[in-house]
Parts: sequence; structure tokens; C-alpha cells
Amino acid sequence: MSHDDPQDVYAGCGEDAAPYVLGALTDVEHEAFRVHLESCAICREEVASLAVVAHSLPAAVPQLSAPGEVRDRVMATVKAEAELRQERTPRVLSRRLGPKHTAWRLGLASAVTTAAAVIAIVLALGGSGGSHASQHTQLIRAQVSAPRGTATLAVSAGHGQLRIAGLPQSPPRHIYEVWLERAGKAHPTDALFTVSVAGNATVAVPGSLAGVKAVMVTAEPEGGSTVPTSKPVIVAGVS
Amino acid sequence: MFNPLRSATGERSAGHLRVLADEELMQLVYRGNADAFEVIYDRHADAAFSLAMRMCRQRSLAEDVVQESFLSLWRSGARYDRKRGSVRTWTLGIVHNRAIDALRRKTVRDRGVVSDEGIEERIPARERTELEFARRDEARELRDALEGLPEEQSRVIELAYFGGMTHIEIATMLDTPVGTIKGRMRLGLTKMRMALGDPAEVVQ
Repeated sequence: MSHDDPQDVYAGCGEDAAPYVLGALTDVEHEAFRVHLESCAICREEVASLAVVAHSLPAAVPQLSAPGEVRDRVMATVKAEAELRQERTPRVLSRRLGPKHTAWRLGLASAVTTAAAVIAIVLALGGSGGSHASQHTQLIRAQVSAPRGTATLAVSAGHGQLRIAGLPQSPPRHIYEVWLERAGKAHPTDALFTVSVAGNATVAVPGSLAGVKAVMVTAEPEGGSTVPTSKPVIVAGVS
Repeated sequence: MFNPLRSATGERSAGHLRVLADEELMQLVYRGNADAFEVIYDRHADAAFSLAMRMCRQRSLAEDVVQESFLSLWRSGARYDRKRGSVRTWTLGIVHNRAIDALRRKTVRDRGVVSDEGIEERIPARERTELEFARRDEARELRDALEGLPEEQSRVIELAYFGGMTHIEIATMLDTPVGTIKGRMRLGLTKMRMALGDPAEVVQ
């Protein structure tokens, strides 16, 4: 980032580190400050200093036992996904594709490279006008590279959920990853998923959609990536 | 050289896994080892649920937050970077972010106001290992540091961190300028850091 970048004159420089580490900035401010941190060593130092305390705050709350039902639900999902990975790996290895064959994915995704031309179809539910915005759910139909795939981004109160159908299984030793495009840059999320046998999945998009131009999905090596390694298979434009 | 990730037979039983450090377990979680994840879950689920309950103040919502957080951890284990803190800190950071997301989907009025009251389902944690005793000491020091702050500083920290409120919402609620709220947050955190044994900065 150059010094000419307008973010260098960020208004909250010097005073937003504390609300940042406490999670008390608005979603838009949080993102702006995060970008500012990339170019401001003083704020980075302040954040590092205060984060030590903020990160220790959970220890101050009364300690409770997590319900056994939650453990059962989490472990059932985890074990099922672990088995799925193991089942898929041998089959995948038997017809392992060379690196160049990833082109199939890129080829399929080529339609999506016109992401800039994506026309998001926004259907406002819950009537027009009159009611509170927070009660609306917007359904945004996404571009999907798979011929029979469909995906809808449901947006409610600034948060999104991807509802996917007919998407092929992710390629060998890969997993689908959700990305948020802000200011022309793809930011990773911790939403990694596989699809069912029928190609379906419902995925909560982490965080707020404030400032997000598009929600995208790519196939990434297991464990996810910090920068996309393939072209998106799903692009949902967010206005 | 002994490889802690692998027994003599190459198997990684749950018993073997439980002697491993979190950071070693995360390497296995990254590779899709559900048993390693189970150990991580058992070590940190109580702390995660305690934080979620404090923030959400609603059992069903807290359960959802914990469930989402650990599944996220399972699916994104590769993101863990030990240079940026412990697995526990990383896990609780995920829980905190998820709880904030959940809280901000609700109206401010629905969230209620953070106070020392209102946790109706207080359950004692089941295990008291040496580590738990050490953590209780840490917790006591932390509570002392927080309670040792002037009320106006501890209050904004609690409303922000545990209440999931933005500085703007807090300023409105307390009828106080935004800049003052931010200043109280900074001063409070800095004083706590000093109280907890890091006197690197002089507090005015």
C-alpha cells in the first residue's frame, strides 16, 4: 500500500485500536481499520499491545460445562465429514488428475470470470416498504459454473447464507471455500464445506456483508487457502 | 527421534492424542483427524460455552455459537498459526466473533444489558485439573484487574466485549461522546495490562 493511499489518513488512527480489539467497531469501521493497519505501524503496535488483554477476557467469566448434546452434534458432523474425506481419497487417487487437469475447473469457471458482468437478481421478500429492513430477506441468485448447479445467497440483517444445489463434489483433496470480495480483493473466510451426494449445501457466510461486493466460492486444497488458487465456481454479487 | 504424533504401530489412539499439545493436535486436525479434534474440543468446549453464554445470555443461542465455532475450527484448521497465539486464544476468538455476529442479528433491546446478574444456568465445570486450577488463578487475577478499574472504564469494556455492542451503541446508551467511550476503552485495557504484569507503558 502506498503512502498516497487514502486509507493512510484514516480518521480513527490512534483511537480505534481499543474498540477494534474489543470487537466494538461497526462492521464497516472494522474493515476500514483492518485495511488501515496494513499501512500504519503505530496502530499495529497498539493493537498488539491491547489484544493481549482483550484475548484474556474470556477467562474472567464464570466457567460452565458445555452441554453434552452440543458435543454429540459437533462430533457426529466431524466424524461424518472425516469419513467422507477418507472415502473420497482412495477413489480420487485412483484417477488422480495431473496439475494441468485442474483446467477443467478453470474452464468450467470461465463463465464466472465475467463476474464483473454478473447480474444479480434480487428478490425482496416480505413486501415492499413499510416493514423494517432487518425483517427482509433478500435472495440473490448467484452465477454458478456447474451446468446444473444453482446457488442463492439469502441476505438478512446484513448477514448471508449460501444455499447451493447441484454442485459437483469438490476435486480430489480439495474443499469448497467461501470468499468475500471487498475493494476488488478476495478475503478468505473460515467457511469451508463439502456438498452432499446430491451436490447440496447450506453455508452461513461468516461475518457481515457490509462493504462486500460479492460472495464467491472456490475449490481449495483441504484446509483452505488464504488466497484463491482457482477461479470461482460461484459468484453472488452483493449490491 | 520419538515422533509424538505417531505411536510405535503408527496408530494414533485417543490415549496417545491426549498427551499431545494443542499445537501438535492442530497438525492432525488439519489432516482430517477427528480423534485429534475431539481432544481439542474436550479441552476448550467449556471455556467456549462459558464465553458464549456470557455474551448471548440464552442457552440455545450459545449452543449454536459453540457448535458453529468448533465446526469452523474443524474445517479451517489450516488457518491456525501458532505465532499468533495459542489454540485456546484462537478458538475463543472464533467464538467471540460468532457470538458478535449472532448478537448483531438481534436488536439492541433484545440483547439485554450486561451485568453481573442474569446467568441463570450457572453450572460448575466438571473437571478440576492442575491446569484448571492454574486457569482459575489467571481468572481471579483477570477479574481483579477488571474490577479494579474505575467503573466507567470497566463498564465500556464489558458492554463492548461481552455485550457485543459497538462504541456508537455504547455512546448512545450512556449518553456520552464517542471519543470519550473509545478513550475509556483504551485506558481501561492499558491499565489492565499493567495490572496483569506488563508495565511497559505509563498510564496517565
